[in-house]
Amino acid sequence: MDYLVVAVVAGLAAVERKGFLQAMLSRPVALAPIVGLALGDLPGGLLLGPPLELLWLGAVNMGASLPPNEALGAAAIAAAAVLSGRALGTGVTPAVAALAILLAGTLAALGRATDRAIEEWNVRLATRAEVLLDRGSPRAAMRENLYGMVLPFAVSAALAPAVAAVAAWVIPAVLRSFPALNAPLGWGWTAVGGLAAAAGARAFRSARGIGLFAGAAVATFAVGWLAGGAR
Amino acid sequence: MSIPPVTLRRVFWRCLFLQAAWNRRGMQNLGFAYAIDPALRRLYADPGKRNEALRRHLATFNCHPYTAAAIVGGAIHHEERVAAGEEPTGAPLAYKQVLQGPLAAVGDGFFWAGLRPFFGALAAVGTLVLGWPALVAALLVYNTLHLWLRWSLFRAGYRTGDAVVVRLAALALPAWAARLRDGGAVLCGVAAGVMALGAVGRLGIGAGALALLAATSGIVVLGLRARLLPTVYAALGLGTAAGVVAQVFRGGR
Repeated sequence: MDYLVVAVVAGLAAVERKGFLQAMLSRPVALAPIVGLALGDLPGGLLLGPPLELLWLGAVNMGASLPPNEALGAAAIAAAAVLSGRALGTGVTPAVAALAILLAGTLAALGRATDRAIEEWNVRLATRAEVLLDRGSPRAAMRENLYGMVLPFAVSAALAPAVAAVAAWVIPAVLRSFPALNAPLGWGWTAVGGLAAAAGARAFRSARGIGLFAGAAVATFAVGWLAGGAR
Repeated sequence: MSIPPVTLRRVFWRCLFLQAAWNRRGMQNLGFAYAIDPALRRLYADPGKRNEALRRHLATFNCHPYTAAAIVGGAIHHEERVAAGEEPTGAPLAYKQVLQGPLAAVGDGFFWAGLRPFFGALAAVGTLVLGWPALVAALLVYNTLHLWLRWSLFRAGYRTGDAVVVRLAALALPAWAARLRDGGAVLCGVAAGVMALGAVGRLGIGAGALALLAATSGIVVLGLRARLLPTVYAALGLGTAAGVVAQVFRGGR
């Protein structure tokens, strides 16, 4: 049942990402908590959402260029982490999150390849619409546009739960076998968080962005430290 | 003949499916024809003329999915005149061809490189500091703003036709995009600081320093055009190694 839920959420996110609406619901910051909520672990999704969003802030579909499929990656990572955390009885910890991104992160790159294949496949829909129009069936011709959402849904609905299932089997096995890895992987997740913030700042391509980023980071840390926010 | 408001709303709803069948040959052509179809049905009672109009909107088209709403509205503006015999049948196509490039550039620059990543960073910081209510609030504000802009552009395109360019210029979107990019960089810095503080709380001052070091190194390495995912794995590996060293160091004391 869990994997069916993951399939539906990942499939809908794939549609929202490009085919319909584009309302940020398939962005990692929203999608990871949605996956967490659907699987009964909202806090786990909220732990993953911000770093994944910052990491893929520059993943933007401009013109005919294709970015990594951040929605597919985020859905698989979130599902893998939540299901692993449940299996371990710990919830999503930084160590679980680190292993989830390690095992499921490449799906975003694979998603770029599947997106390109889908765009090639959609040429058939456009051709078929022209044929139907020539035959005098304008309504059927226009329905072809909606059929374009079927394949993105199906691909994400198949890939996200499959990768999550493998990761949700590997992660608990690794952490049960090597419990001493928990703390070091927490450090690894911390490094990923710092890098994600840098990737986000780079994505803005602002001339003054680097200085603003550095200043804000230091000022936030200093103010938080002085205010006793380091907890 | 003018299009009834209910049909215009239907066309706008269909604009949200503009990229449903994005393809390598005609790009958003099928989505554009799908969106404008209800208006063409109103304008052309003769099925032959309607099919002819639909066919001209199956020509290659590509624009930003938000700003394209202005072109859909403007194309209806021109189709009304074609149906009334005031313009040649090529006028809507010429309108689309002239505007799609500039409006794509404006949309990419403002929405994709400014507004959406800004709200992405805002939602990330909000979630880190305040939890899910901040995330929901950020998404609500973004979508209210973006849907209002999409609808306003569609309506301006329909009402003013070619003059939609003037309306769009008045919004000064490139200037706003520059401000949003600066603001977004600040938000990413705040996120780095908040995550470093969280790491100090969980793992000690060393982990906080690691988060800031990763942020600094990330800025440099990604500036040298390093690929993102391998860099993530490198950060994960080095961070984990630092954690092992910290554990050994603590164990030895």
